Amino acid sequence: MSLSDRIEKLLMNVTKPVRYMGGEYGAVMKDASRVDVRYAFLFPDTYEVGMSHLGMKILYHAINAREDAWCERVFSPWVDMAELMRENDIPLFSLESRTPVRDFDLLGITLQYEMSFTNILEALDLAGIPLRREDRTDGPFVIVGGPCAFNPEPLEPFVDLVALGDGEEETMQTIDAYKRWKAAGLPREDYLRMCAEIPGIYVPSLYDVSYNEDGTVRTITPKPGSQAPAVVKKAMVKDLNTAVYPERLIVPYGEIVHNRIMLEIFRGCTRGCRFCQAGMIYRPIRERGIDRLMELADKLVSSTGYDEISLMSLSSGDYSCLPELAHQMVERFAARRVKISLPSQRIDNVLTDTLKETQKVRKTALTLAPEAGTQRLRDVINKGVTEADLIRSVTDAFDQGWSAVKLYFMLGLPTETDEDVLGIADLAEKVRKCYFSIPKERRAPGLRITVSASVFVPKNDTPFQWAGQLEYDEVVRRQQLLRQALSRIKGVDFKYHAPDISFIEAVFARGDRRLGEALERAWRLGCRFDGWSDQFRYDLWLRAFEETGIDPNFYATRERAVGEVFPWDHLDCGVTKQYLLREWEKARKGECTPDCRKGCTGCGMKRYEGACV
Amino acid sequence: MRAMIRFAKRPRLRFISHLDLQRFFQRAVNRTGLPIAYSQGFNPHPVMSFGSALALGWTSDYEVIDIKLSAPMGRKRTEDAIRAALPEDLPVLEVRMVDDRHPAPMALVKMADYRVTLEGESAPAALAQIPAFLAREAVSAVKKTKSGEKEINARALVVNMTPFEGGFDARLMLTERESIKPDLLVALLAEMAGVEPPEARIHRLTLLGKDGDGNLRPLMEL
Repeated sequence: MSLSDRIEKLLMNVTKPVRYMGGEYGAVMKDASRVDVRYAFLFPDTYEVGMSHLGMKILYHAINAREDAWCERVFSPWVDMAELMRENDIPLFSLESRTPVRDFDLLGITLQYEMSFTNILEALDLAGIPLRREDRTDGPFVIVGGPCAFNPEPLEPFVDLVALGDGEEETMQTIDAYKRWKAAGLPREDYLRMCAEIPGIYVPSLYDVSYNEDGTVRTITPKPGSQAPAVVKKAMVKDLNTAVYPERLIVPYGEIVHNRIMLEIFRGCTRGCRFCQAGMIYRPIRERGIDRLMELADKLVSSTGYDEISLMSLSSGDYSCLPELAHQMVERFAARRVKISLPSQRIDNVLTDTLKETQKVRKTALTLAPEAGTQRLRDVINKGVTEADLIRSVTDAFDQGWSAVKLYFMLGLPTETDEDVLGIADLAEKVRKCYFSIPKERRAPGLRITVSASVFVPKNDTPFQWAGQLEYDEVVRRQQLLRQALSRIKGVDFKYHAPDISFIEAVFARGDRRLGEALERAWRLGCRFDGWSDQFRYDLWLRAFEETGIDPNFYATRERAVGEVFPWDHLDCGVTKQYLLREWEKARKGECTPDCRKGCTGCGMKRYEGACV
Repeated sequence: MRAMIRFAKRPRLRFISHLDLQRFFQRAVNRTGLPIAYSQGFNPHPVMSFGSALALGWTSDYEVIDIKLSAPMGRKRTEDAIRAALPEDLPVLEVRMVDDRHPAPMALVKMADYRVTLEGESAPAALAQIPAFLAREAVSAVKKTKSGEKEINARALVVNMTPFEGGFDARLMLTERESIKPDLLVALLAEMAGVEPPEARIHRLTLLGKDGDGNLRPLMEL
């Protein structure tokens, strides 16, 4: 029986078989015998999550635009499917051609979230690929990229290559190098050496790490004779107007998280929020021009049949000519019944009037992220919004007929006090008053305020990379403090979670190579889908740390000294450590740094050719 | 004007639910470039209807969707546009342009033909019960419906059944009031044989309705 038939047999007995089905409209099929390089792209989470990810769509399209390569998709099988696959000896397979992943040439894995790391080990194991690089003598090279690639050290034992920064060009170069390597019939290690010359590619096996007695990193240096650079600079696409972007998309059958056209209007962010890793590592800001966006939107609407376009970026309201773009979009697509939406709304730039028109159709909850409860703490994190901005936004929204508001905050930000925590409740109360300030006949009935408080995770390559995460018990105390304060306000729903997932996330965000042992142990103990609270096993994680002699608090809750060498110091994400340190010092003094569009803040991006022009 | 389209659902896509298929077609018709008629109201959607929902896991050579157009359009152009908008495993087999007054496909369906392939040890025993089943006046069965369980006479809902090596073909009633699904039939045969129900692969061959003279005809020919 063929592998495909054996897979079919399992599908009757798993939840959501559509996840493993493939055959969607827009999926790219090629003749395997007529391509030189077969590329498996693994998104280490479920189909519904992975299919909503823009980066995967971009790279899938870019690779498949080449005649000599075929990119196929792979997602993490849900636990029921993984179990059946093991029982029936079915290896991890690609969706398009149902080829075993171990038969591919290259295996690209996107690292969107630290809590998907065990899923990577699970995927390698299901694929029948030895987990550790040193045990692999054939099979695909394992390449990781995405935001977490800026600190890939906990994954070091398992990966061959790390792709830093924008993937559009560096991915093509790894494919080109593979062709050259294969044609030359060279040993396996030579491919890694060849890739070390590609801008943005970091080859972990070519570096040695030494440690101080206190456990901190002493040095990270290229192995003698390896010719690897002392510091690897990230890859950067200079011009998004000429960069590759999908003109066709795979249209899934089942519902996925974001089932619509995603149009990236710009990359990067100029705001400089100090907790935000994306705001640092995706610099500099690069916009797609209106003409290019209109052209792409036209093609995508025609080729997919979607009735919604989401204008994507880290802070869409910051697009330099948003009113003009919104106007053109609405004008062009209204007759085709295509809605235009802005997913991330900031409270300091209200929706343009044009978009308000289109939004009249569906008044879903207005989502705002003040992040902190007091102005003092918002200044510490450099979230350049004031209470007045928030009040204006919600009053405006209530006046326009919204009645549901979601407010997002973080607990445990550096310097946070009880006053800041209670400030969140004050804000919720003020939002409530805004609603009742609208005359009854004008406002929509049924006020709903949702306050969500996540636990702050200090990330590498941010000004808060020196900060310790708040201790577990203290997080719990502050959550309860807030819960009690909010329980006194009518109509407010409070959402929060146990701090355990955030704690493990904090360990890995700033982890080093030694964590690979704990990661593998945790996976062997049964950890996977750690980002899913119904799957997450805190007890097993703690056991894994204990059994491998690792103190998780060393990584999560320890505040770093200013001079400490970090495990990711040899990876250049664009902004410099000096800039981040300056921001860390300003944060502790409560000083703001303006948006860099108002004047260069010297983050270091100018060291990159073609950036910030 | 409406386009009545017959398409197949190939094995690879047998796990798309009817609801997901409906959503899929809303997007698919958008990418045809055809003048699609939209419903009025708060949330307009393409005006379209299906012949009969296909259960999850089944395949078919006779799925019918009826799409309303807002302007006249040639058959060939419509067919080409629909074909291009569908994936390989949902191939278009037949397109017919009908008048707005033509009854909706769902109202036309009276019966369906199925090919049922059985696998597993209990398959021969279940198949051997077919003559006995057909010879009986009544076979009582419990049918699960949205509102609960209902006792039915299964025999009366089976028009005919023809066994072959490893399976059978069946013509079954398929109206709102009277219908039976092939998997229930397989369970009944197994029960009569005193065996566990074998694994069944169900494939729909044809949807049938009655013409003006009361003769049975495939749906697309009515």
